[in-house]
Amino acid sequence: MTKRSWTTNHDAKNSKLENVASMMDGKFVKTENAKELLEDLIAPGDKVVLEGDNQKQASFLSKVLASVDPGKVHDLHMIMSSVSRPEHLDIFETGIASKLDFSFAGPQSTRISQMIADGTMNVGDIHTYLELYARLYVDLIPNVVLVAADKVDRDGNLYTGANTEETPVIVESAAFKDGIVIVQANEIVDEVPRVDIPGDWVDVVVQADQPYQLEPLFTRDPQNITELQILMGMMAIRGIYEKHNVQSVNHGVGFNTAAIELLLPTYGEQLGLKGKIVPNWEVNPTPTLIPAIESGWVKTIHSFGGEVGMENYIAHRPDIFFVGKDGTMRSNRAFGQMAGQYALDMFVGSTLQIDKYGNSSTVTNGRLSGLGGAPNMGSNPTGRRHSTPAWQSLRPDNDPLGKGQKLVVQMVETFGSNKKPVFVDHLDAEEVRKEAKLANVPIMIYSEDTTHIVTEEGIAYLYKTDSMAERQIAIEAVAGVTPVGLRSNPKQLADLRARGIVALPEDIGVHRSEAKRSLLAAQTMDDIVDWSDGLYNPPAKFRSWS
Amino acid sequence: MRTLWIFPGQGGQRPGMLKDVPQDLKLKVKELTGMELTDDGVAYQDSIQIQLGILILQLFNVRQLTQIKEKPEVVAGHSLGIFGAAVAAGVLSEDDAIKIVFLRSTKMKEAYPVGYGMGAIVGLTRKEVTALVKQVNAPDIYVSNQNSELQTALSGSLDGINKVLDLAKENGAQKALILKVPNPSHSPLMQSAADALKEAFKTIELHRPTCTYLTNYNGHAVHTVDEIKKDMINNLIYPVYWDTMMSVASELGIDTTVELEPGHAFTRLIHTKFPDLRNITMSEMGIDDTEFLLKKWRKIND
Repeated sequence: MTKRSWTTNHDAKNSKLENVASMMDGKFVKTENAKELLEDLIAPGDKVVLEGDNQKQASFLSKVLASVDPGKVHDLHMIMSSVSRPEHLDIFETGIASKLDFSFAGPQSTRISQMIADGTMNVGDIHTYLELYARLYVDLIPNVVLVAADKVDRDGNLYTGANTEETPVIVESAAFKDGIVIVQANEIVDEVPRVDIPGDWVDVVVQADQPYQLEPLFTRDPQNITELQILMGMMAIRGIYEKHNVQSVNHGVGFNTAAIELLLPTYGEQLGLKGKIVPNWEVNPTPTLIPAIESGWVKTIHSFGGEVGMENYIAHRPDIFFVGKDGTMRSNRAFGQMAGQYALDMFVGSTLQIDKYGNSSTVTNGRLSGLGGAPNMGSNPTGRRHSTPAWQSLRPDNDPLGKGQKLVVQMVETFGSNKKPVFVDHLDAEEVRKEAKLANVPIMIYSEDTTHIVTEEGIAYLYKTDSMAERQIAIEAVAGVTPVGLRSNPKQLADLRARGIVALPEDIGVHRSEAKRSLLAAQTMDDIVDWSDGLYNPPAKFRSWS
Repeated sequence: MRTLWIFPGQGGQRPGMLKDVPQDLKLKVKELTGMELTDDGVAYQDSIQIQLGILILQLFNVRQLTQIKEKPEVVAGHSLGIFGAAVAAGVLSEDDAIKIVFLRSTKMKEAYPVGYGMGAIVGLTRKEVTALVKQVNAPDIYVSNQNSELQTALSGSLDGINKVLDLAKENGAQKALILKVPNPSHSPLMQSAADALKEAFKTIELHRPTCTYLTNYNGHAVHTVDEIKKDMINNLIYPVYWDTMMSVASELGIDTTVELEPGHAFTRLIHTKFPDLRNITMSEMGIDDTEFLLKKWRKIND
């Protein structure tokens, strides 16, 4: 009997790397050899992680992967947290890839729906970010990972800086399980500013023809905040942040939460809340937070990723942000999601549809945008043990073993930008599930996790309801003149208000007439730059040229 | 820079629109179809004149763009516009396009001469319109083209369509009107025209596309002769999923649109949907301005 080898994976990796030795100079491969390199290092059927989130993309390697010969490299099982670039899907049309496990596909939501329906692509599953990262260590261990770095030194040490994002969680899953780590570099340097990933974990480095793609996804121009959003922001501050004594928070992407950020230094100050609420944040460095930081509201911010234009401001505010010895920020998406799920008092987000039960989704009308991070942060981690005042304030008082709950807040106007009701009897996501043959309806945040809904009508304190029927009535009461909202009646509303399950603005001392733009701490991008002492440098598309 | 060329269908025609079109194209039409394009108000009462007129105007625009060394990354035609798009993609020759459009327009005219046509509803979703059609429950009404999320067309019997339009107004539609289209286009009622086109395409030589083509019938980005042929044959019996086509164009990374003549209706639609794109309308800008802008933008971009 031959002795079993326990190093087959290790041997296979070494033999692959030996095959490309003639192309390599140490760990370095010339830009023009990148295609041949991928054809030699990636085998048909391999599990391949291509780095790409909603901001940073390994765009050189994705283009090279799309150019390989499908005769040599085919039927790959792609693992991508975000499907963002056209070639991320082109590779399924050409047969280079056949299976996909992913999390978010907002920028390619139409094509991905078509490909799933046509059978061009076989979807393993649609994950939340944390699920996908976790599976890289269990049953989706990659053979090859393709990642992006800002700077790489001669030993292969990577500097990924403010946009470190997912690079560590991806590289670690391959580096210690005989996967091959291939890095595209914006720049090859003698010395990196700091080591974000040790060179020892890196197999191959290619100089990219262009810097990796980076989108300023979390920048919101205050000029586009409406007075309705200001009103809802005031209601949230009074009726939720203050009421529940919230200390730590994540804000989703959107103008509703941008309004709250800009109301803290003004409206929040008037209410005497400074120093009492939201000192700790898990959020990307969004420019609309600058006034709150400058006026002393915000004590700490940890971030999933960077934000274009915020680099210099962050470098000058190391007391607030996570900054290396070199002076630049370090982000980490996996730790950020972990913090967002387990360590926060509250998540505040927005959505496109909420059904009569309180389930919400951004998947509408043939567009499969996926899930991303909101379901991690917008869910109640039932295994949590540590307690905070906000968490305890949701504890049911009739259960001796009861425990607290995370605050999960949805802020929506009752009608969307297309003038269609946000509150619906059935989510479009139910149809999309059938069309795309998914195992689960792609719900972003489940009703059971949703504790509050804020609309221009009022706040529904869903955690106080004690049956689904009562929850539905509470949702109807804040759903305005949508078909769902029209089922509400004055008697029910009066009863819900009396029991504190629904609050109208006047119930919490918010005056509709005060919801004016002048209440925002910054009304333009220029105002934000002023607040930052000139340290914030808005991307071109957010600058006014008038 | 990644450019989408848009080829409108019927609707934007106007007397005198062919004045700059070279004589050889007009002669080609005469030779291949026997039709004299008179390019006046009377002519544009006739859908054969309209379709051939718009086609050669677009063939002229394609020649102009080719002359200034422009190439599209993606082409999208609306209904009749797909034939100009197929020429721009190198799939169909000018001559074959003229022959096919002549056949198409003739067969369309023959089918359902009276009592049939199209309507449009603005302000309701496709789902809402579909529910209204079910409610009316009369034969021969089809939900057809989807020009934007809230712009849906109906094709079929005018009696039935009028009932749906009335209901639509009662249910909050901003507009609900009968279109000046004399056929129930883009519905199963046009099967006979599709059959004739299928037959005709048997003898037409098609070439591999040199760019991405967006199909009307399901809004997919395609790259093969077979798929484009399928769209050209069956276009009349399926809705035009224009809204989906534009979503896909955006996902393919286009940053610039060029709308060929006539009109600018589709530039307006895409500008509303994706305000960050740069737009050119050839009917308003002419070839000189088109060339100037495209060269300038390419310099900034690349």
